[in-house]
Amino acid sequence: MLYSTNFRSLRRLATASALVGAFLGLISPQVLAQAANTKPIRIGVPTSVQLQVGRDTLTAIKMAVDDINKKGGVLGRKFEFVAADETENPETGISAIKKLTADEKVDLLIGGYTSGVTLAQLPHISAAKTIYLGVGAASPSITAKVKQDYDNYKYIFRVGPINAAHQARNLVDYISNFVIGELGYKNIAIVGENAKWVQDLVPVLAKGAKDVGADVKLTELFDTQTSDFSPLLAKVKSSGAQYMIVVLSHASSDVFAKQWHDAQVPVPYGGIDVKSMDGDFYSRIGGKSISEVAANFAVRAPLTKKTVPFFDEFKKNSANSPVYTAFFAYDSVYIYAEAVRRAGSFDTDKIIKELEKTKFEGVAGEISFDEMHDVQAGKGKLSLIFAQWQDKGERVVIYPKELRTGNFILPPWMKK
Amino acid sequence: MEILIYGAVTSAIYALLAVGFTLIFGVARILNLAHGSFYALGAYGTYVLTSIVGLPLWSAALIAIAFVAVFGIVVEKVLIRPLRHSQLGVLMISLAVALVVEQTLFLVFGSEYRNVPSFVDTKINLGGVDVAGQRLLTLAVAAVAIGALYIFIQFTRLGSAILAISQDPEAAKYMGIPSDKIFSVVMAISAALAALAGVMAGPFLSVQPSMHLLPIVKAFAIVVVGGLGSIPGSIAAAFLLGYAETCVAYLISSSWTEIVSVLATLLMLVFRPAGIFGKRAAF
Repeated sequence: MLYSTNFRSLRRLATASALVGAFLGLISPQVLAQAANTKPIRIGVPTSVQLQVGRDTLTAIKMAVDDINKKGGVLGRKFEFVAADETENPETGISAIKKLTADEKVDLLIGGYTSGVTLAQLPHISAAKTIYLGVGAASPSITAKVKQDYDNYKYIFRVGPINAAHQARNLVDYISNFVIGELGYKNIAIVGENAKWVQDLVPVLAKGAKDVGADVKLTELFDTQTSDFSPLLAKVKSSGAQYMIVVLSHASSDVFAKQWHDAQVPVPYGGIDVKSMDGDFYSRIGGKSISEVAANFAVRAPLTKKTVPFFDEFKKNSANSPVYTAFFAYDSVYIYAEAVRRAGSFDTDKIIKELEKTKFEGVAGEISFDEMHDVQAGKGKLSLIFAQWQDKGERVVIYPKELRTGNFILPPWMKK
Repeated sequence: MEILIYGAVTSAIYALLAVGFTLIFGVARILNLAHGSFYALGAYGTYVLTSIVGLPLWSAALIAIAFVAVFGIVVEKVLIRPLRHSQLGVLMISLAVALVVEQTLFLVFGSEYRNVPSFVDTKINLGGVDVAGQRLLTLAVAAVAIGALYIFIQFTRLGSAILAISQDPEAAKYMGIPSDKIFSVVMAISAALAALAGVMAGPFLSVQPSMHLLPIVKAFAIVVVGGLGSIPGSIAAAFLLGYAETCVAYLISSSWTEIVSVLATLLMLVFRPAGIFGKRAAF
């Protein structure tokens, strides 16, 4: 980071000369005030730095910061950032917030991944009166706080992803419009891992699917430690389901895809599969996710005019394709910079008022906030994009229709 | 029919894992918590040799297994032997090895999942049930490996020496059997079996730094049920557990499978601490 290093040495020089000056009684108050106005805006990044979601958050923020600084910064101030590891543990998450706000004295926070951690951090963020732009956690409870207690929680915004309730609605739309509407598969099976958010989501999903005319042949949750999916996959096959909807978020995704492929289960599958959002998912399981449809927030396709350039630029900065936290982290820096520019000041309350008016074309879609400071979902805004793994690990958008970049394929062993 | 076949495959992997674990305990009284690390290193070794070095799969697998066997000997000689007099010390040092291996894999390869290629990619239909070729191969390899181990122990001089030590270490010593050398051999066999399981199961299970936990939990459950130190006991218990899990997944729900092994361990410890085939209580 050329800019910040230069700046730090400049600052050190400035501090030193200020000290000498003050000692000599020669310094004027105006000069001191001017120094405060040109110090960098510090972004604190609480995230799981050991996971790809965290590493990509940092890479994306660095890209945005370098770009803005190159153009001269905002209101004469440049950006710099500092990270703190929040892991996936609420206690560590709280320490990360305290470190960033109290020790590092950051001006805003961009980060987050696990909902449980973010929820635990909220009181500490609001106590520090620091703006927080969430880029990873999907629990609706996070932004619900803003509505319940605006004065204390107005600092909290979710730039992405869309919350879990919106995701469930998107998935039902996918079943109704694509699986039933286009593929003509009425008989479906719903399979999910036995985690809290899946237990909440699956009944909603099963009911929604029934309402749109699907015949749910089998609904099954499996233990998150499961290593052998043969019995489950055999059950799906014998249930007569023509399509399998999955809700997976943890370690099981890789094993699930491998075993589905190796047993050549004659039922195509797709749904919310968090690990399958990773750019290297296809290659790391030896191409066995072929034909799986996974919901994403963005893939390298012209979703907005920023999407493709972002993916290409990211490739230059990282060995892997970006995961979802990267899109929202990247957008967050610009959204904040624009709000500051519009506010014409660094006053937190004024910036919040401007953030609320955000209408920003981001990497994954248009970003705007509702009255809970939650990113809005729907057509023309953010929504899930269903992309299919096809030959050579290419991801092809198949739903929604208006964004389609290719046609649906069946697993190789089902082709006639 | 499905239960019969899937159960057999699951059981075979469990047996491969448990036999090595119980062998080193039966012979050297080493409760080796690093057993899962050998499994992980086998899978990672194959990954490195195929994906990075570019060796063909067969030679990569053999080199990885040999490497893990040597690693097992080093662990036994350098770390475990000085603490042999204390069971607790052995437990702690092997746990330390497991954690060090996990963290090393984490630092070198990161938390991402890695891919170990399959030996066979075809699907095989057995009596109307579709089974992945790799799984059937695993079943066959496990049967051969365990059979070979049995023959080795029953019919060779070295095998007799191993058997002698496991039955009465002191008497064996007086008969002139070099117990330290035997321990090294047994450790190498045990580590190699775990690595073999890692190489075979890697293609259809996950390969990541904390993958050593699954085998250690399963091996532990099997060995407690079968009787610590009893090889036929662990094979029988591996099949019991493998089939129990498959049945539960079929007849009740997949969300209940993981509790089976924990429950079996608990019940066994309460009602028959020596296990099915064990002669003496392990603890």
